Amino acid sequence: MKLRGAAIVIETLIAHGVTDVFGYPGGAVLELYNELYSRSDRLRHILSCHEQGASHAADGYARATGRPGVVIATSGPGATNLVTGIATAYLDSSPLIAITGNVSSNLIGKDSFQEVDIAGITMPVTKHNYIVKRAEDIEDTLCEAFQIACSGRPGPVLVDITKDAQIAEVEFYGGSPKALFAVPETDLDAFEKASKLIDESEKPYIYCGGGVISSGAGKLLADFAERIDAPVGFSMMGLSAMDCDNPRKLGMTGMHGTYPAIKMNEEADLIIAVGVRFSDRATGDKDEYRKNTKIVHIDIDDAEINKNISCDVDIVGNISESLSALCKVVKKSSHAEWNALAENYKREAEAKFTGGFNPRSIIRAVQKFTGKNTIVATDVGQHQMWVAQYYRFSNPRTFLTSGGLGTMGFGMGAAIGASSANGAARTVLFTGDGSFHMNLNEFATAVRYKLPIVVIVMNNNVLGMVRQWQTLFYEKRYSQTVLDRVTDYVKLAEAFGGTGYKAANLEELQNALDGAFKSGGPVIIDCAIDRDEMVLPMIPAGGSYADAIYN
Amino acid sequence: MEIKNFTLSIIVTNKAGVLSRVIGLFSKRGYNIDTLYVGPKVEDSRHSRIIMTSSGDDATREQIIKQLRKIFDVQEVKLI
Repeated sequence: MKLRGAAIVIETLIAHGVTDVFGYPGGAVLELYNELYSRSDRLRHILSCHEQGASHAADGYARATGRPGVVIATSGPGATNLVTGIATAYLDSSPLIAITGNVSSNLIGKDSFQEVDIAGITMPVTKHNYIVKRAEDIEDTLCEAFQIACSGRPGPVLVDITKDAQIAEVEFYGGSPKALFAVPETDLDAFEKASKLIDESEKPYIYCGGGVISSGAGKLLADFAERIDAPVGFSMMGLSAMDCDNPRKLGMTGMHGTYPAIKMNEEADLIIAVGVRFSDRATGDKDEYRKNTKIVHIDIDDAEINKNISCDVDIVGNISESLSALCKVVKKSSHAEWNALAENYKREAEAKFTGGFNPRSIIRAVQKFTGKNTIVATDVGQHQMWVAQYYRFSNPRTFLTSGGLGTMGFGMGAAIGASSANGAARTVLFTGDGSFHMNLNEFATAVRYKLPIVVIVMNNNVLGMVRQWQTLFYEKRYSQTVLDRVTDYVKLAEAFGGTGYKAANLEELQNALDGAFKSGGPVIIDCAIDRDEMVLPMIPAGGSYADAIYN
Repeated sequence: MEIKNFTLSIIVTNKAGVLSRVIGLFSKRGYNIDTLYVGPKVEDSRHSRIIMTSSGDDATREQIIKQLRKIFDVQEVKLI
């Protein structure tokens, strides 16, 4: 069957099971949108307010579903507006397919209107990218893009297609997906070595990251923890891998980790790291982190082994397979005293919390309205850390947050992406007034598509996280972190066609949530919080776990 | 950590932009390139060979090789 290049793009997406795409039209993708028009019954397009919002939405969709998210943008500014979204997906290993149009191939390199070398620009933040100048190459390239994005450690792939390639008519072969690349075989000796260390360990600690979620290995990890009787700490990306009711779950580790996770990590004689990359935010001082412990590192990406932290044994391969194999060779052990210590730390931490209207009580109040399947997105800053610390996640892919890149403005788009995949189920976005102002235009998108998103703005009218650093390390010189904006969030929500509430205490929040969780469309709840609230514990940048500030 | 010189032979697909990917990796991750040679692979027009000398400690060398292998158009990386 002969089809125009643009039609081949859309048909290939459909052949890959894509049901929703996010994007924004423009001159260089007129052809794509023209072909989409006649196929809108088979492929839903969600129109954002800005390409950045669309890129975060596609990323959020991918994170929530595990299927690749697709974003379409035009050449030039449309393409450059995707860059933050692509980099966000890259740092968090999210399978994103970005399709951009470009000027016709005879205009390439002439500084033509809206021409930019987006393949050159995104080279460092994509797993791979392409510029396609011939219609004949579109089908195979796009199939390969999906194959690369989803194989091994997932990541974003960009396909830039010139306008003339979209117009030309060529043979279409059906666009069937290519099989994913095989993961290299794991070295069997590694399991023996790892099990020896695990069997000998008296204080084993499992450190679970986003790779466990990517690999769908949450249940296997819980079984493994049970078998070796070890507590489990998490990187932020891994938090939703294990049920919150599992007593082994210590919460997040690292710079703003929970007290029990920090203490147990510090005192462990063996860290079994699964699907993590030992980010500087997770380890602090790397020499100190490494000093009194042995490390077994399990990951699919060979390049993560010994990149940030050197390990004693590495197991490279598919995490699910590695964990089941390891479970078979390790001895069943018991570490009652060690686990009792974790329980002590949990009790100590719990005793420190006070009542009142504060971030923790807000998060816990919201959690009374949500279920284990509710998807929770965040932006970046203090509110993000509070959610990571206090929201009790249970099901994989329910926590969408920008971990590696730390992208303020990620949340609104991500919530839209997740909500689009989630039908009538409510999606919650926790944001701060700083982050929300970055991409709040996308609230209009949520209204337009009647997406039931509940936006909780933790409003302290300051850039809280940066201000916290200024409080602690810059003698309270609050340079450019006091916002003092007079934005009325209730009116803002209404102006966009949604609903808004204000909450200054728990009772008002309760009433607002009652309304929000009955509403069919998006809602903003403006929660006024104290600007001097800090995220604690905090390990100062470059410090060690022993330097943690607790009060 | 002792800094050592080493030489890499990198076989890449003969496509536009591949050299840029390889060089880009070095600038992105702060690795050194001391000398560089690029040419066609004998009797194989579909691939090119890059010979590069670089320097770094053992851990850096290990990382360079692993990161190069992740580039989609890189077919083979060898220490020579």
